[in-house]
This record gives sequence, structure tokens and C-alpha cells, in this order.
Amino acid sequence: MTDNKKALFDAMVAYKVPGIQAAVDKARKDGLSASQIIDAMGEGMTEVGVMFERGKLFLPHVLSAAQGMKNAMDVLGPELQASGDASTKRASVVMGTVEGDVHDIGKSICSTMLQCAGFDVHDLGRDVAKAEFIKEIKDGCTMCGMSALMTTTMTVQKDVIELLKQEGLRDKVIVMIGGAPVTQAYAEKIGADIYGETASETTRKAKTISE
Amino acid sequence: MTQFYTRMGDGKRVTMAKKEIMCDIEDGIADAVDMGGVPALSQNEIDMLFEIISNKNRIVGVEPGNEVVLSYDIGQLDFTGDNGNSGNGVDVGRLESALLHERALGADTFELAHADYSIKPVKPVIANEMQTMEEIQNEIVAPFFYGAMPNGGLYYAPDGPYGNPADLMREFKIEEAMTAAELTANHLAKDIEYVATRMVTAGADGFNFDTTASAGDADFVGTLKGVAALRRECPNTYIMVGMAGESVMGIHGSIEYEGKIVAGTYPHQQVVFAQKAGANVFGPVVNTNTSKSLAWNLARSVTFVKECVKVAKIPCHVNMGMGVGGIPMCETAPLDAVTRCNKAMVEIAKVDGI
Repeated sequence: MTDNKKALFDAMVAYKVPGIQAAVDKARKDGLSASQIIDAMGEGMTEVGVMFERGKLFLPHVLSAAQGMKNAMDVLGPELQASGDASTKRASVVMGTVEGDVHDIGKSICSTMLQCAGFDVHDLGRDVAKAEFIKEIKDGCTMCGMSALMTTTMTVQKDVIELLKQEGLRDKVIVMIGGAPVTQAYAEKIGADIYGETASETTRKAKTISE
Repeated sequence: MTQFYTRMGDGKRVTMAKKEIMCDIEDGIADAVDMGGVPALSQNEIDMLFEIISNKNRIVGVEPGNEVVLSYDIGQLDFTGDNGNSGNGVDVGRLESALLHERALGADTFELAHADYSIKPVKPVIANEMQTMEEIQNEIVAPFFYGAMPNGGLYYAPDGPYGNPADLMREFKIEEAMTAAELTANHLAKDIEYVATRMVTAGADGFNFDTTASAGDADFVGTLKGVAALRRECPNTYIMVGMAGESVMGIHGSIEYEGKIVAGTYPHQQVVFAQKAGANVFGPVVNTNTSKSLAWNLARSVTFVKECVKVAKIPCHVNMGMGVGGIPMCETAPLDAVTRCNKAMVEIAKVDGI
């Protein structure tokens, strides 16, 4: 790793917006291409995710690093477009805690992690009606994340999957489920594509499946 | 090769060979060591754990004389609540439920709880709660507490006056999110002081703070400040602080209690904060991973809790139930797993209560 790439990586891990900005400015001044800078920052962002998963960094730190990356992308994005090197944005994801359930902290962390990973997140909040998920998918979301904290509400995840089948949308959307009582076995039973034990695991699986 | 009947973290029945169980025990311990920086179990303790897991009997227990105290959370709601609320949907009154726990179920302690089981909604009905506490205290002999979740989530939008950090952070309003968390911590501390001191005045033998830090580090700091205030106002009351999860979520990230950041702390670190604030009993929690085996989950849980008990200067009553303490995550936790986990916590982690 060159000095500039290492500086970009380190700045991301240090998660301070001014530090990230300074590292990007120096890299550009030294002639690194937009894609080289973005790649190095991406590696740093991945490390931030690992540190979050291990409890060494926390949500505000992840977001601060993501903000530094977003600021850099505002400048580097047009350069990337001009060079014809632009990569496609990740999928649009509708996220929500299913109807009847108001527990949304885990879902919100997951939404944030997905946003940081480059997904276009439509977070509908909590107690989300089944029809709202369907509407977002009809409007273009290709991934659907549903959270439930209670055994009495986890069945709604299955209801939404059945609704997707009835509407002829099931093959067009990747369904992710999570929440304390939800398990891999339940995900398989109701036909979900992804089960996430944690927000980080969900994001990692979402990235893999959308690549 | 002999196969032993055991469970996965989601409760599924499986059989495993000794080598597989030992491998999972070692992996579970290694994960606790790696994540929490706690010491590994000794070979003797690993062997004890294997003996407990591989016991041929459906139900296991401790030797007479080694029983530990049982404290309870959620009050009468374990009878009256619906299935989504850990209850059984049996409609009995709060007095009857308390007496049933004491006289029929042999509970060592019990508590009164509001239907929402959170601090905040108790405020407008505090007089009713005080009256009920007084009435039940006239009948019950066992120590009878008041219990509630600090539930810092109720102070954030859309339920409370402060912006929701999750929403604010997604808009990169990080400073605002941190400010909202700090305001919540202070508000929660005041509400705890208001509710808890009144319930003690009404005769409660103590106060149980259940699922502390469920909304993250500010929730934990607010609770600790509330506990400290309660200890100042009611020096002789009995205070239990039970956690929501094994690690404190960093929703704020750098909020401190007594000069130390609480985010990312594990049970052996959390207990230090709790005893400093004035708690009499600490309830450590270790989460169950549904994709791993009972052996992996129990070994990991015991490793964390053993260090917590070792560090603690106050008794530790480990949280044991659906999805915590190595017990599988399923609505009716299987007795074979429940009894094995409890035995391991008493005999290896040396907990003072459950």
C-alpha cells in the first residue's frame, strides 16, 4: 500500500471528517485517480465495519467515517463519471419493523450499516403495514428487510413474503429478515433469502448477494 | 462413536460426538476471550462443562445445599402478559399473582410491575402503583420489589421529546444525535429518581432495573445516574440492575459515567459501574447465537459470567431465559437446555443467584 493509500485507509479508521478530507486532498494533489482513492477509502470503511462488529467503534463513529466518504464522493463522483470508471450504486432497500411491533433499534442500526455500505435505504420505521413494504417494492426497491422482536410479530415476515408471491413480485426482490426471535431455520421455513444474526452480518450478506 | 443428545441455539434437537462438543466448547470460550478480553476457562472447568452437557438425564441440577437464590423480573406479567410479552395470557390480579409466586411457585423474591414495564409510563399512575404496593406488602412475606425497564427508547421520537439518534445519524446529524442521547440520559435519571423513591416510600423492599441499556450507552448512563440518586435518597433500599445484552451498544459512543466510557463494555466491566452507582445485585446477560450449538453458547456465556462474578464486589444474579445465558432462543425454552445452563452457571461461573 502506498503512503497515500495508507493515509486514506488510516483516516477512515480514525473516522474524523476533517482528517478524511485532508487525506483525500493530499491524494488528489499527489495524482491518485478517483477510483484509486475510492478503493483505498472503501478498504478503510470495511475495517471500520469490522471494528464496529467487534465493539471497538460505535455507530456515531461509523457514520462519521461514512460522512467523510460521502463528502469525498461528492467531489470524486463526477471525476469518476467523466473517466467512465463509475461503478453502479448498490440496490435500493426497503427496511422496516413489521406491523404490530414497535422495537426498532436493531432495525435502525441495520439500516444505517446498509446505508454506509452504499445501499439506497428506504427506512419506513416501525409498525409498518404489510402493504407499505409491497408499495416500496413496486416503486423499485429490489431488497426488503423486515425486523421483528416478538414471537407474535415474526409471523408477519411470512405474511409479507406470501403477499409478494400473490403480487407476482417474489422473484424480483431479495428478502432479508432479522430480530431476536428470528433464526436461520425460520428464514428457511418461510422462504426468506437472508437471515442476519446481527446488523453487520446482514450487511455483509446483502453486499455478497447484490454483487 | 457415542452420540450425545443436545441442542442448537434455536432449540433444534441435534446429536453430537464428544469431539464435536469439546471443539464447540473451546470455540465458544475463545470467542468470549477474543470479544471481551476475559480469561479462558481451565481444562478442569471445560471437563465439567462437557460432563454437564453430555449428561444422559433429561434434567440436571445442583447438589442439595448448593441451590442459589432466584430473583424475578417482569412481575405479574409472566402470568398476565400475552405470548409476545413472555407471558402466559392468564388473567389474574396483581395481588393474586404475587401470592401465587410466593406460595405456589416458591419464589425467593417477587416484584410489582406496570403493564408496560417501563419507568416512563409509571409517572402518571404513580399514586395507583404506590397504593397497590402498599396493599400487597400487607399480604406478602417474601421481599417484594418494584420492577421496570429504564427503556431509554421511550424518550426518543416518536415516543419522546428528543430526536431519534438512529434517524439523525442517517442524515449525518451526528452532533444532534449525541446531544439527544445525553438529554435522554438526564431525563431518564430524573424519572427513575421520581418513580423509584416513591415506590420505596410506599413500602417496596427494593427496585429492580430490568433490561438496562436496551437503548444503548445513554440508557445505561441514565440508569446509573438514577440508581445513584435512589441510593442517596433511600440508603437502605435493595437495588438490582439487570442488563439487556452482553455488550452496551454505542448509540452515543462516548458518553461517560464517572469519567469512563460505557459503550462496548462487557459484563465484567458493567458490574463495576453498577456497584459504583449503588446497586446491591447485578444481573449479567450473555446473548445466545441461534446458529451455534448449546455447547458453544454455554461455554461462551460461562466464560463471560465467571469473570463478572470474580470481579464483582456485589452478588451476581445471571439472566437465564429465552435467548440468554446459553439457553436456546425459543418461546418455551427446552428444560434439558435450561437445567444444564443453570447448573453450569452455579457450579462453574459461581453465580450468587439466577
